[in-house]
Amino acid sequence: MTAEPSPTLKIHCEDVSKTFIQKGHIGVPVIRDISLDVEENEFLVVLGPGQCGKSTLLRIIAGLETPDTGYVTLDGQPIVGPGPDRGLVFQGYMLFAWETVMGNVEMGLKLRGVPKHERREVAQHYIDLVGLTGFEKHYPHQLSGGMKQRVGIARAYANSPKVMLLDEPFGQLDAQTRMFMQKETARIWEHEKRTVVFVTNNIDEALFLADRIILMEGKLPGRIKREYVIGLPRPRDHAHKDILELRAMITAQTELVL
Amino acid sequence: MSSSIANETVGSASVREGRTLWEMLTNTYVLYFVSLAGFFLLWDRVAYLHVFGDSLARPHVVAQKLYMLSQVKFAGTNLAGHIWVSTQRVLIGFGLASVIAVPLGLFMSLNQYANAIVKPIFDLFKPMPPIAWVSISILWFGIGEFSKVFIIAIGTFVPCLLNAYNGIRLIEPELYDVVRVLGGSRKDEIIQVSFPASFPAIFAGLQISLSVAWTCLLAAELMNARDGMGFLIKRGMDTHDPALVLGGMVLIAAMAWLSSLLISLLERKACPWKRSIENL
Repeated sequence: MTAEPSPTLKIHCEDVSKTFIQKGHIGVPVIRDISLDVEENEFLVVLGPGQCGKSTLLRIIAGLETPDTGYVTLDGQPIVGPGPDRGLVFQGYMLFAWETVMGNVEMGLKLRGVPKHERREVAQHYIDLVGLTGFEKHYPHQLSGGMKQRVGIARAYANSPKVMLLDEPFGQLDAQTRMFMQKETARIWEHEKRTVVFVTNNIDEALFLADRIILMEGKLPGRIKREYVIGLPRPRDHAHKDILELRAMITAQTELVL
Repeated sequence: MSSSIANETVGSASVREGRTLWEMLTNTYVLYFVSLAGFFLLWDRVAYLHVFGDSLARPHVVAQKLYMLSQVKFAGTNLAGHIWVSTQRVLIGFGLASVIAVPLGLFMSLNQYANAIVKPIFDLFKPMPPIAWVSISILWFGIGEFSKVFIIAIGTFVPCLLNAYNGIRLIEPELYDVVRVLGGSRKDEIIQVSFPASFPAIFAGLQISLSVAWTCLLAAELMNARDGMGFLIKRGMDTHDPALVLGGMVLIAAMAWLSSLLISLLERKACPWKRSIENL
């Protein structure tokens, strides 16, 4: 790594380690010595099986956890806590059940004191972008899983973060909805480019979306095993021969660690 | 609603001839009617045959008794007066308790110091059945209005506080992460997540409290009272008037049901986002 950071460097993780200490147990090391860079508007996918520390890495970038050693910077500034410059999409949707779709999407703007008519306009833009036009007044329990996560994505986007962090966002969806949501994610990202860190355990999802894939070790503590740059044009086809070739390569690596 | 269901039944029955009668007989509303009619017929039969001697009044006698009481004064006031006196006691006791207990429960779950100070005392009193307070409250406050209101307030305090407290403690912690990631403060977490998320639990607590309140009222009025629905039951017992006892019971049940309905309506107003649960 050169001393002079690239001008388009967005996120920089330097030797990040984290150990969780549970009551009455010795510490469980979750991730160890993770260093990675994310370029501006890059779509980075962190791929790994369950329990490999990838979600913890994402929570550290979000500022919800602090690393024991190492540090993370965003635009050269160290991350010390959560903030609206990083939008987070949760695996369990985590929508506010008592707010409508509109209320959920505009929440970030509301918390930051944006006047009502202004935040309505911004929120509406993102509701339209994720394809929920007409559902503004619906409550979360009236929506399907895929629609709920669309709200989650719109809510994060509406806060205009520099970075979007997605933590296994489609993990609870059925296979068909999942594929459809991957297409939607690619479409939304093409429409409004952001720096994205996307965590998943699904290799097809990674290959479909990523500019670059970070493959994690399959056991704790999580470490980076390998990196793959996916230079294929979008929209991609799950059955394209280059994709299948990469899939075989990554699968071989994954099976080694399992 | 019911008419549309009936139409549907008739419509499908005409298509599948032969099951018509069975489908009509097994219609939910028909079964409701059969169930209730059967109950009242059985009651009437048992009373008519003097299975329990003369201590069970026939349904229409109970109804006549209530009608008569609504026309003439009985122990100083007519039926509406007795109902109102009891309802007032419940409203004041329940109102006082909930106004203090709900905010206290919320505060305890949000502030560990408040929790550490109040919780031990609360845990000490929690297992005490509210009726156990009847005698001591008469010793302390005499047989006036205050001792009755006191018992009701004591009884309703516990479920109100407990539900508000647990309502906040059982919130998914990741919901607070959402507020933090969106740029909110601790205050935002409380206003945007803690309060709205605890609403259903608070209303559940109010419902439980309300049913406890009517129980406490009855206990207090049976013990000593010159008016109210519990007094009617007590007077019926003392003068061996089963129609009056049963009439008082029916009235209390009706009022408890009405007040619970009122809380349900309030909840629907306050939490429009809650999935409506049928047959509440």
